[in-house]
Amino acid sequence: MRILKGLLVVFFTLFLCLPAWGKVYIDIDSPAFQKFPTAIPDLRNIGKGGDREGLARWFSEHLASALDITGYFRIIEKGAFLEDPKSSGITAEETNFSDWSVVGADFLIKGGFNYDGKKLSVEFRLFDVVGGKLITGKKYWGSIKEKKMMMLRFVGDVLQALTGERGVFDTKIAFVGKKGDQSEIYTVNFDGTDLQKITNFKSLTLLPHWSPDATKISLTSYLRKNPDYYVVDLRTGKVKRRTDYVGLNLSAPWSPDGKKALLVLSKDGNEEVYTIDSNKGTLKRLTRDSSIDVSPCWSPDGKQIAFVSNRSGSPQVFIMDANGKNIRRLTFDGSYNTSPDWSPTGKRLVYEGSSNGEFQLFTIDANGNNSLQVTFERGGAEDPSWSPDGRYLVFSSKIGQKRKICIVNSNGLNLRILDEIKGIDSLESPSWSPHLNLY
Amino acid sequence: MKRNIFIIGVMVLICSFSFVFITGCAKTPETQIMKDTAVTQADTQKAEEAAEAAALAAEKAALDEKKLRDKLLAEADSFQDIKFAFDKYDLSAEARGVLSKLADWLNLHQDFEVTIEGHCDERGTTEYNLALGERRAEAAKAYLVTLGVDKMKITTISYGEEMPVDPASNEAAWSKNRRDHLVVFSK
Repeated sequence: MRILKGLLVVFFTLFLCLPAWGKVYIDIDSPAFQKFPTAIPDLRNIGKGGDREGLARWFSEHLASALDITGYFRIIEKGAFLEDPKSSGITAEETNFSDWSVVGADFLIKGGFNYDGKKLSVEFRLFDVVGGKLITGKKYWGSIKEKKMMMLRFVGDVLQALTGERGVFDTKIAFVGKKGDQSEIYTVNFDGTDLQKITNFKSLTLLPHWSPDATKISLTSYLRKNPDYYVVDLRTGKVKRRTDYVGLNLSAPWSPDGKKALLVLSKDGNEEVYTIDSNKGTLKRLTRDSSIDVSPCWSPDGKQIAFVSNRSGSPQVFIMDANGKNIRRLTFDGSYNTSPDWSPTGKRLVYEGSSNGEFQLFTIDANGNNSLQVTFERGGAEDPSWSPDGRYLVFSSKIGQKRKICIVNSNGLNLRILDEIKGIDSLESPSWSPHLNLY
Repeated sequence: MKRNIFIIGVMVLICSFSFVFITGCAKTPETQIMKDTAVTQADTQKAEEAAEAAALAAEKAALDEKKLRDKLLAEADSFQDIKFAFDKYDLSAEARGVLSKLADWLNLHQDFEVTIEGHCDERGTTEYNLALGERRAEAAKAYLVTLGVDKMKITTISYGEEMPVDPASNEAAWSKNRRDHLVVFSK
């Protein structure tokens, strides 16, 4: 995996943000939130050379598609624009904002580039059309290969300015790709690019979970017939079998500090939740109950653990302290609630529950209040996982005969379905990575 | 046990011939080995022929053995999947019927073992279904043990919802997929 942490792109803030823009522009979590209507004309060539690379259009189109993917922007069709990008300037002074408010834009992104065949410099500006003001502007220098990175960095700036978070373009989603009785683990970027096959076990391989530094993925595989627990190092590709007890060895999330991971073992006669030390491999048993105890996950502060148990008759979500004590039931509605994932903000949990015979996603406060159904997908919704900023949910849904990976905003809107993989029947069990700090 | 005795018999036979080959001749194997001590060309040839015949016989016996084993495995293959209700792992009367037949059969054919695969329908999560599949397999194992089957001859494995017999999303498919699949094999 490439980690482009030491950026070759030089950037600086051209213009200071006005103090008012230091805060979140609009509360995107509000139920009344409307997508930001945004216009992005082609960039202007401010260099002396031509634009054989088609950069003017490349930047405007990629900015538009990246912002569209976030689910927070409505990109206005270029055909409606009144201003000619070739003749108009890219600063506030050179912009006639009324031309943009007429076409329905609340926000406007303009930019210019200079490519001399070797070096590329690009500047972007985000304007508040209604106020006729600059919100943020940046200039980047680099090689032409870094154009995507420049574009995504500015997308991060736009998101930061308008939503208070930089977004999740530097994250990946790990999932299971199944064909027949075999499955492998894959990863793909948030925007659907850079698909990678992580395992090649030619076996049944399930339940991927990222380490908090995103350098490892744990999983369960039938590689040696039994469902054993493995850790794959993404940097070296090395695979380590951590536990191979008789019965189930089910991979579960790592602790927020990465020092240990949750694990479900049935070696003692039935399924119990354990932690395993990341270095020493020592086990600590947390649950002691003859019922099924599975699907544990941490609260973001690592102090509590949510898990699924059928100790009250049907599968329900429970919460316990990290030492296994103080077990209390979280979900009471419905007879089948599983697969909890704790929001990175800590306030709410998402889980999968049975609703009119099909499974959909629900969110609930950590104290059990305010349960809310967030998906209404025809193919159901299973195995939810939050994005690291808590603004999106990824899950699997059966569309036609195939399970697919779907992403929605955490309020359930703006469904986006990741592309199928050629030759793979079913995509399942998505797990969202932490921030990789790529851009 | 029968099979073991047979194998020992065949081995004794083969060993006897090698012995004859080195030390003496034999007209008919087994009884004359110890009596005859003289070695002649003719005797060697006879011994060779006899050894060949014995090898053929052993081969035929092995073939018969394989046929018998295949026949028994085919018999064992007729043990149907045990079905379960949604989110349940208790054994129905029908399931108990299948398992008691299997127990009788395993008790009769001591050379065979069974793997019980627990499966679920696609509804619910991977993890919970892996646990549920394990419970289904363990329930069948526990019942077999109460019927006198040696627990060392029973292995269980859960595949959860991962290996449906019917991938469709309807009750007909789901009821087929909520199952214990019984795989009998010889040691």
